Amino acid sequence: MSQEILLKISNIDVFHGTFQALWDISLEVRKDEMLALIGANTAGKSTLLDTISGLLHPTKGKMEFEGKDITHLEAYEIVELGITQIPEGRGIFPEMSVIDNIIIGSYGRRARQKKAENLKRVFQHFPILEKRKKQTAKTLSGGEQQMLVIARGLMADPKLMLLDEMSLGLAPIVINELFKAMKEIRETGITIMFVEQNVRRTLQEADRAYILETGRVTLSGTAAQLKEEEGVKKAYFGI
Amino acid sequence: MKALTQKLTTGWLLIIVVVVILVILPILNLPREWTLYCFLFLIYLAMSNMWNLLAGYTGLISLCQPAFLGIAGYMVAIGTWVGVPWWAGLIGGAAIAGIFAILISFPVFRLSGVYFAIGTLVVPEALRIIFYLWKPVGGELHGAGAGYMIKEIGDLSMAHIYWMALAVALISAIVLHVILKSKLGLGLASIRDNEKAAASCGVNTFRIKVYPFVIGAFITGLAGAIFYIYQGYIEPAATFNVKWTMIILLATVIGGLRTEGGPIIGTIIVVILYFLLARYAGFSLLIQGIILVVIMLISPQGIVGIVRKTRFYSYLERFATKRLI
Amino acid sequence: MTGDIFTPLVMGVLLGGLYALIAMGLSMVFGVMRLINLAHGDLVILGSYLAYAVVTFLGLDPIVSLVICIPVMFGIGFAIQKYLMGRAFGISGEAPLIIAFGIALIIQNSNQILWTPLSRGLTTSYSLASFSLGQLQFPVSYLLDFIAAVIVMLALREFLVRTYLGKAITAASQNKRAALLMGINNNLVYGFAFAIAMVSAAIAGVFLGMTFPFTPTSGTQFLIIAFGVVIIGGLGSMFGTLVGGLILGICQTLAGTFLGPATQMLIVYVIVLVILAIRPQGLFGR
Repeated sequence: MSQEILLKISNIDVFHGTFQALWDISLEVRKDEMLALIGANTAGKSTLLDTISGLLHPTKGKMEFEGKDITHLEAYEIVELGITQIPEGRGIFPEMSVIDNIIIGSYGRRARQKKAENLKRVFQHFPILEKRKKQTAKTLSGGEQQMLVIARGLMADPKLMLLDEMSLGLAPIVINELFKAMKEIRETGITIMFVEQNVRRTLQEADRAYILETGRVTLSGTAAQLKEEEGVKKAYFGI
Repeated sequence: MKALTQKLTTGWLLIIVVVVILVILPILNLPREWTLYCFLFLIYLAMSNMWNLLAGYTGLISLCQPAFLGIAGYMVAIGTWVGVPWWAGLIGGAAIAGIFAILISFPVFRLSGVYFAIGTLVVPEALRIIFYLWKPVGGELHGAGAGYMIKEIGDLSMAHIYWMALAVALISAIVLHVILKSKLGLGLASIRDNEKAAASCGVNTFRIKVYPFVIGAFITGLAGAIFYIYQGYIEPAATFNVKWTMIILLATVIGGLRTEGGPIIGTIIVVILYFLLARYAGFSLLIQGIILVVIMLISPQGIVGIVRKTRFYSYLERFATKRLI
Repeated sequence: MTGDIFTPLVMGVLLGGLYALIAMGLSMVFGVMRLINLAHGDLVILGSYLAYAVVTFLGLDPIVSLVICIPVMFGIGFAIQKYLMGRAFGISGEAPLIIAFGIALIIQNSNQILWTPLSRGLTTSYSLASFSLGQLQFPVSYLLDFIAAVIVMLALREFLVRTYLGKAITAASQNKRAALLMGINNNLVYGFAFAIAMVSAAIAGVFLGMTFPFTPTSGTQFLIIAFGVVIIGGLGSMFGTLVGGLILGICQTLAGTFLGPATQMLIVYVIVLVILAIRPQGLFGR
């Protein structure tokens, strides 16, 4: 795990209309790591991911990706720079075929050039998608749909992948498969930042984590450190 | 009585003065056109107030108004041919318009948004063809279409007709005001903002939508019938015509959707523009169309919305609420 | 006796082609942006008048005039979406409807000022001719309409399915948020969708003008017809639009034969209302 900082967020405030969701958030994402974001439902995890993706914009503070200021860029510009979000609830295009869903991921200019190469890689990670490629996306099972949107995200040729509640509503076997795939994807040089409800599992898989409570970062550290933290133990493991 | 005089503010005084002026208008020896313009203003105002209730406060863009005014107008006309006196035809016609509104509310209210708009657009178009084909009482057809003269209104002077229009306009304003302050008004507002949430709060959304629709149909019918009494004849092409909808929509939106004063200001502007540019037929509507688009983009609450944001408005407010006694 | 039903059937099919052609732009815009453009009928008539101008001042054949009309309408469509409709969505629920109505007003009255309420036509020597099927004669213009409808439908389908932009338009219509996260610039995509719909409206306007005379106020009628086609055939489906057009066309001509010509449009209106009442999402709809 390198020390090179890929994404740097400094003191951002984010509002939903007049309601403040994030307060003075600072965090770093380091290259090639698996970084986790932990917190209760209303802590603001999805808001943070949406802000990084450009769907929301901070009213204060700065975000830098690979040294470039991305604070006020539009969503499609951020995708072009190399940050892709796999949204909560899958977010498939239900009436389109599996292969179409995957290919639309390479819509961006940069991604389109590497389409063939990425497609091969995607089918290596998720062979079942190749088998089902002509089916309509909505006929896939929950786990397969999750694979589909991850595959779609990979086609955008990202440097950083954001996953929002990947394991929501899926059986443990499927979740294991997905985490295995994410590790393989990390090996190919993609940094991963994920948001999960299952704290124990998250700390097993992640290198580092940040804890978010009602819109603020309250704790951060390596997974090992956090597992020992009294606050974490009490809040999430009931100890 | 004491309580009433204590409620008397500058604002109310102004309203009373304006109403009094409007009442005595026809008796003053003003040029005939003034009475005519005011007459039209009152008719359009009544219709716009009702449309505002439906579109502005309930969020339902109804393009159905020509149907109501046409039905009422035709009932009056046909009535006079079979011996029904015009005033009975007036009330009866408006009532039939209201009943018609109830009937079509069943299919039409199952739709929302654009479906509702187009559904209501189809109704007057269909009625135009129906009234073109349906000739219930024989004889004197006016012009090329199946038009009717309105008989036995010779003893009605312009002043009488004008006062009827004034009455309808006042009724429309009072009805609007009363509904908005009532429980019904609260229900309507909740539907506009979030129909599902309203339904889960126990608001009977269907019934609540029907009330402004039907009341609006009745009053629009009244106003329309009075208009046709003034005009003396009625025929399908001009009656069931989207031009009525345009005038009403323009007046309400330009003045300010969802504001009580909006239709008043908007109607004044529409009437002025209409007559200033009467010679250049297409231009007034073209300009109004442009104003409509511009206003929606800049200030969705119309002119009232613009004025509200200025400091002038707070002076107005203080002035209007100053107690007199 | 078979001639009696055969004629209206064939006429209905051909007329249905024209109706489908008119409706395709509406269907695509609704499929993508959930917007039923109240100004659509008037935009088609704008296409007719535009072609009329080109035909009158440049002496071109109406179909050839499309070479000029298509780019112009494309530009107008893109501008309307970018500067008017796009902004309208952010304002309020009713704003897009009202603005569309305003656009319709502007177009109708501009046409009225420029061209007077006199009815115009885009007739050519071949459009007035008739062809025969067996012993019966049918107008060539109707046949041209039908052919144009099929071509446009196929072209639009191929575009939506095979090109990146087409897929992006489809994706944006199924899940706006996911589309944004895929790097799709929704605003641009909507602009293109609307512009392409306008192109199909331009084509529809030309063929309409070759088949029927038109006036500045013809728009409303065709809006209702287009809407009827779209809700019968299902929103967003190009093939469904074609089928919807055929169904509506046949119903109209059959009604005309058995109930009298004056009732034709009335039957169309009644059908629209009935379908709205029982199955607003159409036969092919999602």
